Amino acid sequence: MTVHNLYLFDRNGICLHYSEWHRKKQAGISKEEEFKLMYGMLFSMRSFVGKMSPVDMKDGFLAFQTSKYKLHYYETPSGLKVVMNTDLGVGNIRDVLHQIYSNIYVEFVVKNPLCSLSEPIQSELFHAKLDGFIRGLPFFSARAG
Amino acid sequence: MADSPLFQALHMEMAHALCAEQEKGLGALEGVGFRVGQGLSERLTKETPSFKDELDALKFLCKDLWITVFKKQVDNLRTNHQGTYMLQDNQFLLLSQLSNGKQYLEEAPKFLAFTCGLVKGALSNLGFDSTVTAEVPVMPSSKFQVVIQKS
Repeated sequence: MTVHNLYLFDRNGICLHYSEWHRKKQAGISKEEEFKLMYGMLFSMRSFVGKMSPVDMKDGFLAFQTSKYKLHYYETPSGLKVVMNTDLGVGNIRDVLHQIYSNIYVEFVVKNPLCSLSEPIQSELFHAKLDGFIRGLPFFSARAG
Repeated sequence: MADSPLFQALHMEMAHALCAEQEKGLGALEGVGFRVGQGLSERLTKETPSFKDELDALKFLCKDLWITVFKKQVDNLRTNHQGTYMLQDNQFLLLSQLSNGKQYLEEAPKFLAFTCGLVKGALSNLGFDSTVTAEVPVMPSSKFQVVIQKS
């Protein structure tokens, strides 16, 4: 069980942060293109899920999975999007993604006057805390599962 | 201060805005801190008897004032018993979100100016004229040096 990588997007589609822990295959395109692709897909997926839902929608798009990995999605009311790719052994981690937002992003980016909220995050403290948090998750193992 | 998030956010913006012009900004921030310090020390010492000497006043600063504003006590107080005191706070509230080491070190003075004024104002209201300087060896710890003027 492991975490592959993590993206953080702001409400305008700018990728604020990306880090990876176990990624065996790259996308074959540049990082900017990859971020745009990811954001575009999420945007379309969200509106698709809302439109085509046969019942009243509660949380909307939560995750998708393939035979090899699962992509988890969490969006805050302020438009910040947290996207995490894990392997298939992981269940619903919305509360983990929420913790990343409230305990790490809010604490070390929003409360840091030197971090501009619409630019990629430069704060090393944020990187360190995020990395420590992810490595401490119960479903993160140092060897790719 | 009951609304710590409010104070932190306000202080953040204040430091950022006032320090757009370097020199005047730091002075203005310290002035604001001075008046806040005067008022705060007045309110906090309403019930307590007057201080025997300056060491007691410094101890009040390190304990009660620091707890009220920064939610913790000063970690270390040193003195040379000749009017110079050194207050050390290892997890300074206003710096702890910024960095854990060397990043952003050059921006740190902006975020200390208000507190320097706060200490100065509090002491002046208790009857001691002083100069206060601050330095940051490594984030988020900070040291405030207080030199009491002998009148």
